[in-house]
Amino acid sequence: MPEPMGFFTDTSVCIGCKACEVACKAWNQLPARNGGKVTLSGVSYDNTVALSGIQWRHVKFIEQFSPDRSTGRWLMMSDVCKHCVQAACLEVCPTGAIIRTEFDTVVIQSDVCNGCRACIAACPFGVIEINPETNTAMKCTLCYDRMQAGMVPACAQACPTQSIQFGPISELRQRAQARLEQLQAQGVTQARLYGHDESILGGLNSFYLLLDEPEVYGLPSNPQLPSQKAAPASALSAAGAVALGLLGLAGLRKQRMDRLAAEERERRQQAPETEG
Amino acid sequence: MGSNMAENHPVAFRWVAQAKLNGATLIHVDPRFTRTSAMADLYVPIRSGTDIAFLGGLISYAIENEKYFKDYVVNYTNAATIINDNFQDTEDLEGVFSGLKEAPQGSEQKYIYDNATWQYKRVEPWDPAKAREEAKKAATFAEMIQRMVPPAAEKDPTLQHPRSVFQIVRRHFSRYTPEMVERITGCPKDVFLKVAETVTANSGRERTTTFVYAMGWTQHTHGVQTIGTTALLQLLLGNMGRPGGGILALRGHATIQGSTDVPTLYHSIHGYMNHPDARKAHDTLADYILTETRPTGYWANFPKFIVSYLKSMYGDAATPENDFGYDWHPKISGDYSHMATMIAMAKGEVKGALIFGQNPATSINGALQRRALMQLDWLVVKDNFETETASFWYASPEVKSGQIKPEDIKTEVFLFPSAQVAETEGTFTNTQRLIQFHEKAADPPGDCRSDAWFTHQLALRLKKLYADSTLPRDEGIKNLFWDFDYDPGTYPTNTRIEGEPDVFKIIREINGYQTGTKELLKSFGDLKDDGSTTCASWIYCGVFPEEGKLLARNREPDPDNKPGTNLGWGYAWPANRRVLYNRASADPDGNPWSERKKYIWWDAGQKKWVGYDVPDFAATKAPDTPAKPGATGLDAHDGKSPFIMMPDGKGWLFVPTGLADGPLPTHYEPMESPVVNLLYPKQQHNPVAKHWQHEENQLAQVGDPNFPIVLTTYRLTEHHLAGAMTRWLPWLAELQPELFIEMSPELAEEKGIKNLDLVKITTKRRSIVAKALVTPRLRPLMIDGKVVHQVGMPWHWGYMGIVTGDIVNDLTAMVGDPNVSIHESKALCCNVEKLQ
Amino acid sequence: MPDTFFTKSPHWGWWAVSEFFIAGIAGAAAAIAALLWLFGSRDDRFIARYGFAVATVGSALSGLLLTLDLKRPERFWHMLLFSKTLGPTFQKWWAPMADGAWALFLLGGFSFLTLVGSLADRGPLPSGLAFLARGVLGTVLAALAGIAGVFYAGYKGVLLSATNRPLWGDTPWLGILLLASGFAMASALLLLLTRDRSPAVSQWLRNLMAGSLALTLLVVVILAATLDADVRRLVLQNVYGVLLVVAVLLGTLVPLALAWRPRLLGRLTLPSAAVLVLVGGFLLRMAMLLSSEAA
Ligand SMILES: Nc1nc2c(c(=O)[nH]1)N[C@H]1C(S)=C(S)[C@@H](COP(=O)(O)OP(=O)(O)OC[C@H]3O[C@@H](n4cnc5c(=O)[nH]c(N)nc54)[C@H](O)[C@@H]3O)O[C@H]1N2
Ligand SMILES: Nc1nc2c(c(=O)[nH]1)N[C@H]1C(S)=C(S)[C@@H](COP(=O)(O)OP(=O)(O)OC[C@H]3O[C@@H](n4cnc5c(=O)[nH]c(N)nc54)[C@H](O)[C@@H]3O)O[C@H]1N2
Ligand code: SF4
Ligand code: SF4
Ligand code: SF4
Ligand code: SF4
Ligand code: SF4
Ligand SMILES: [Mo]
Repeated sequence: MPEPMGFFTDTSVCIGCKACEVACKAWNQLPARNGGKVTLSGVSYDNTVALSGIQWRHVKFIEQFSPDRSTGRWLMMSDVCKHCVQAACLEVCPTGAIIRTEFDTVVIQSDVCNGCRACIAACPFGVIEINPETNTAMKCTLCYDRMQAGMVPACAQACPTQSIQFGPISELRQRAQARLEQLQAQGVTQARLYGHDESILGGLNSFYLLLDEPEVYGLPSNPQLPSQKAAPASALSAAGAVALGLLGLAGLRKQRMDRLAAEERERRQQAPETEG
Repeated sequence: MGSNMAENHPVAFRWVAQAKLNGATLIHVDPRFTRTSAMADLYVPIRSGTDIAFLGGLISYAIENEKYFKDYVVNYTNAATIINDNFQDTEDLEGVFSGLKEAPQGSEQKYIYDNATWQYKRVEPWDPAKAREEAKKAATFAEMIQRMVPPAAEKDPTLQHPRSVFQIVRRHFSRYTPEMVERITGCPKDVFLKVAETVTANSGRERTTTFVYAMGWTQHTHGVQTIGTTALLQLLLGNMGRPGGGILALRGHATIQGSTDVPTLYHSIHGYMNHPDARKAHDTLADYILTETRPTGYWANFPKFIVSYLKSMYGDAATPENDFGYDWHPKISGDYSHMATMIAMAKGEVKGALIFGQNPATSINGALQRRALMQLDWLVVKDNFETETASFWYASPEVKSGQIKPEDIKTEVFLFPSAQVAETEGTFTNTQRLIQFHEKAADPPGDCRSDAWFTHQLALRLKKLYADSTLPRDEGIKNLFWDFDYDPGTYPTNTRIEGEPDVFKIIREINGYQTGTKELLKSFGDLKDDGSTTCASWIYCGVFPEEGKLLARNREPDPDNKPGTNLGWGYAWPANRRVLYNRASADPDGNPWSERKKYIWWDAGQKKWVGYDVPDFAATKAPDTPAKPGATGLDAHDGKSPFIMMPDGKGWLFVPTGLADGPLPTHYEPMESPVVNLLYPKQQHNPVAKHWQHEENQLAQVGDPNFPIVLTTYRLTEHHLAGAMTRWLPWLAELQPELFIEMSPELAEEKGIKNLDLVKITTKRRSIVAKALVTPRLRPLMIDGKVVHQVGMPWHWGYMGIVTGDIVNDLTAMVGDPNVSIHESKALCCNVEKLQ
Repeated sequence: MPDTFFTKSPHWGWWAVSEFFIAGIAGAAAAIAALLWLFGSRDDRFIARYGFAVATVGSALSGLLLTLDLKRPERFWHMLLFSKTLGPTFQKWWAPMADGAWALFLLGGFSFLTLVGSLADRGPLPSGLAFLARGVLGTVLAALAGIAGVFYAGYKGVLLSATNRPLWGDTPWLGILLLASGFAMASALLLLLTRDRSPAVSQWLRNLMAGSLALTLLVVVILAATLDADVRRLVLQNVYGVLLVVAVLLGTLVPLALAWRPRLLGRLTLPSAAVLVLVGGFLLRMAMLLSSEAA
């Protein structure tokens, strides 16, 4: 069994060049939206807008400026599937299309998926969508095919600044820690790691160094597993079922009692005649 | 400054990112907050076109606060040299230098300079004209050069002499105070001072600062002067010839560096030799050599370079008797740069054009260039796509609007499909002069052919066409040496398209060989001026030292990147040197300035220069070697003169020759500006700037209320130039699908414009339409107490391709820098209105 | 921004609203039918038959809608069997949709068998099939149909909870809500179908309906009260919130009032209540599903 592999994405050196987006599309032969003929989004330099079934990498642009421009930042972050150790998508997939690979990554087998979309609603990060060409759910495979051939994922290979770093998780975690300490020492106190330890879904095999709250980057601060939510919901439903069942039974029981009583009454009324 | 490196050179930016990881401070000076600014420790806003004011402020700050690198300045620059008594500075003449005179009639310039008064003061009187007469009588080129050696220049090592370069520089820049910088550039004084402190504190023995620039600096009518200002500053701070120092020009197209080394330029021949010119004293080879050779310094070898070059042009036909065919060589007689040619074309003076890998229909003053194309009889476009230039006759806005009918355009257009880079083999020379060979990955499809194939075939056919001519003027093409066909069976394993030339034969020709034995040359030190060596481009000599050993193919990086010069990777001209003038990385005595910045030093034991790079100095010339008075070449320099190409071996703070617009840089406003030149109110813009006169090429007056907004144009990571290579590709088209104009929320509010509204942008030339991208990344600036707005437009769109849009260059004007004729598309004046 | 707002909508939309509506009725109908079958008077079994019929038809429709809503409908069977191993998907019992698919399959199957049995026992079908409704087998099949029904009616809400979507993933109360509302709807539908053919059963169904409505109302109130304030603002302070209020008013409060005062509208009182319950149940599902999809 190979070591768990994944990404450490250091957003502090991302230059928003989108090479990762294009490399991913090229390698995975994913189409451009509407053949490339789309309209300007008006949201900073982001025109691919979101992760989707044909957009497995997506670079976010966040403009933060004070009105007088005395402070200002332009944050960029290349978003992708987090390859959660406890993966919501994998958990809910009814067909078994989503599997965990020998590299501890999460992959959708498109020959199995039937497009039920349970995974879409389950993923806490909004990663998955239906690919309109195959009509199956799709997302980053962490380049499973390349990894099997001992190659670096296409996006990481293309990234000019090593914002996307690929490697064994244990090593990446050390690197991330060192980078965090360096930034903190340089006075970037806002810097933080996200998903590098077990606290988020048992660890994200694609984890991040962020320069602000996760929410600023469109990331949930406390994502949860569906099963955690299903348990109480099931318990309450069961309780409801029991309550309604008892109500029904009680009614039937009352009905039976009533009927028995009525029959008894009837019998009593008839008895003197037979006796008489 | 003037470069958006993260967006336009993202792969090179990886090294900046790495330097940052190692603790480097990154400052970005740009009118817009860009993706590079996002990575910077400090973003510095500036009004487009005012970099000289900013840099001049840094110079003044360094001098007035004694923060320059004194030991370096005294020993390695011409600070101590005394200048001619007749020289008058802009301080004396309210914004111009002595020597300004009216340009000849009909020129694109109003004025030109005569640089006679800018010269060094010599220790004894010297008459160059007389020396030239004497020199012409010499028997050999060497003797000729010898007779041209001038007497030494006067110097004052204390730098106190009022006419010393140092004092002239100090006076010249004394006006560039932090307050003046703020008033002109709009950069707040405290931000400027922060830059000044950071840059000066980060220069000296222990540290170096580097400046990185690209089109934000060059695309101005004072572009060359801006870079000159930085050179001056870097010399003052001791940042030249040292690791981590220098001025890094980030170049544009792939191998655009190569195309100036082995040039596609009209005014220069291989290896930065001036093109023979009918307007100069270039009548015979001897005249040419006398005019062009600098007798002291390494350029004294010029005769060897030009003779070897002529041998490569004309082969065996070039002999000492016929001046090596110098007479056959074409001579220029005017400005043949792009804009000049297009204006001539618009006037009907050009019959036909071959356009390879260029898209002028979308270029500066695009509508005017399209009009010019319509005047041609024939046009050949060789491109990978049907570009705007190939399709102007049916798809341009003028034709679409019915203003011009296709049947009224007489131009016959031939579109030749081109091979892509991966379908050709050859070398790239990129920004750091690094030559790298690349293989062909696949043959091009269908009828697509490489540019080499096309040029080779064209040459062969032309030679055939003229073979029987007896006209003297056709001797050149008849005698042109052209032997680049593949020899059968040379490369049995490679696929070859029929008619392709053998690129190795071309590289041989560029590298050079012994004329007789054809043995490859190992270095330009082997070149001779008697015809026994053949070499097309002397600076590339050595890249192919032995058969089968093309050094451009080297791929051996330094282990663990130590020392990091990676001499085994590719080949950097000249002589595989990575840092030019690297003798300056050692102190005058030859010791490293500091342990931290150790690079090249004198090893007294071995009696030679050693270090991490190829020394850019005579290898065994000790630091204490005295200069030989009256000698030519490097012998004229002492052991403490690192700038070996310069006649005096020193870095020039003050530039007596070589520049068209003054020996010192001066802040001038762009040709179109909303404000007057605060520094020299009587001299608004560069007095010698070029402006091509045409009714469709008019400029807005200073402060024209109709055009109050500063407009700058630039690139996006997502697209490449005019867009043929990106707007045709769905994956890139979707990343930036539509033309937009970036503007601040303040301006948008003033104009009642909302994000994504359609906006009309108007300059003195024309109007176009774009979508508004309202963003706080742009900000209004306070210029001399008044608010000046700046807007920015990427210029990648046109009327062909998957995603189309208006042509931004329909807004720009054909004005140019006097030295290199580059246009001024980085600073113009416009107005923006919401489209109703 | 609550964590659930960073996720993507599965775009289940109108298919799901219809399917949830039918599923709620079908599941609860089977459950009610089973109760009646097992614990009610033998004479009333013909009414239970209506329940199983509703469950049978409902599950068929439900299955059809589910299949059509798949982006690859031809792979519907992947819901039941792992396509690579052919093992049953309920092996992955923690995946709600796999369980749901099986529940639906069993619900339809058992209801159908019981229905057939009962139609053979006292009805048009050949009596040879009556064994399905008789004896232990009959009891077991009916019980299984009922269990599958309860499961299926409640599972839909659990399925929603087992997501990270706004509202759905933000409350555990959806399962019980849809279950209660399903029971109300099924009772209402059976009331309508059987009219007054057995006054005792009608009485019983009415009570069951009223009880379910009361529970529905209670759960809606708890749900709304316990929902994170931001979620409430973002998901429900809009047209869907209004829809929810309408659904509650029309679908629970008014029918409850009618059930409490059965003579208010004369003979039409109960049928009106039942129809309102059905409409209200549909609107409730619309509000719950579409509000989240829109967020
Ligand atoms: N992705 C991509 N990369 C490219 C190209 C491309 O088209 N696309 N083109 C290639 C080519 S040919 C070239 S030449 C290079 C050009 O590379 P760059 O010079 O980096 O390109 P530009 O975007 O034209 O201009 C750079 C910056 O100059 C700023 N600027 C404008 N006016 C001024 C000024 O007066 N002063 C200062 N300090 N800054 C100013 C602009 O806001 C802009 O951010 O890029 C090359 N690389
Ligand atoms: N307003 C404004 N205007 C500018 C600039 C600016 O910053 N602002 N920048 C200027 C600069 S720096 C530059 S470099 C110019 C660039 O301007 P152009 O050179 O006119 O524009 P490109 O789009 O680069 O055109 C190159 C063409 O070469 C084709 N091509 C690619 N490979 C090959 C090949 O192997 N062979 C052949 N034959 N063709 C090939 C491409 O398809 C493309 O059509 O624009 C200048 N214009
Ligand atoms: S990020 Fe989403 S899609 Fe990726 S593994 Fe986690 S839950 Fe699945
Ligand atoms: S859409 Fe496909 S991958 Fe997602 S849960 Fe359904 S079957 Fe699994
Ligand atoms: S790892 Fe592969 S599939 Fe995933 S984003 Fe990168 S390139 Fe795309
Ligand atoms: S390739 Fe790297 S630097 Fe470029 S956008 Fe992607 S993550 Fe950022
Ligand atoms: S486009 Fe090519 S040359 Fe330019 S940065 Fe990218 S990889 Fe380098
Ligand atoms: Mo360029």
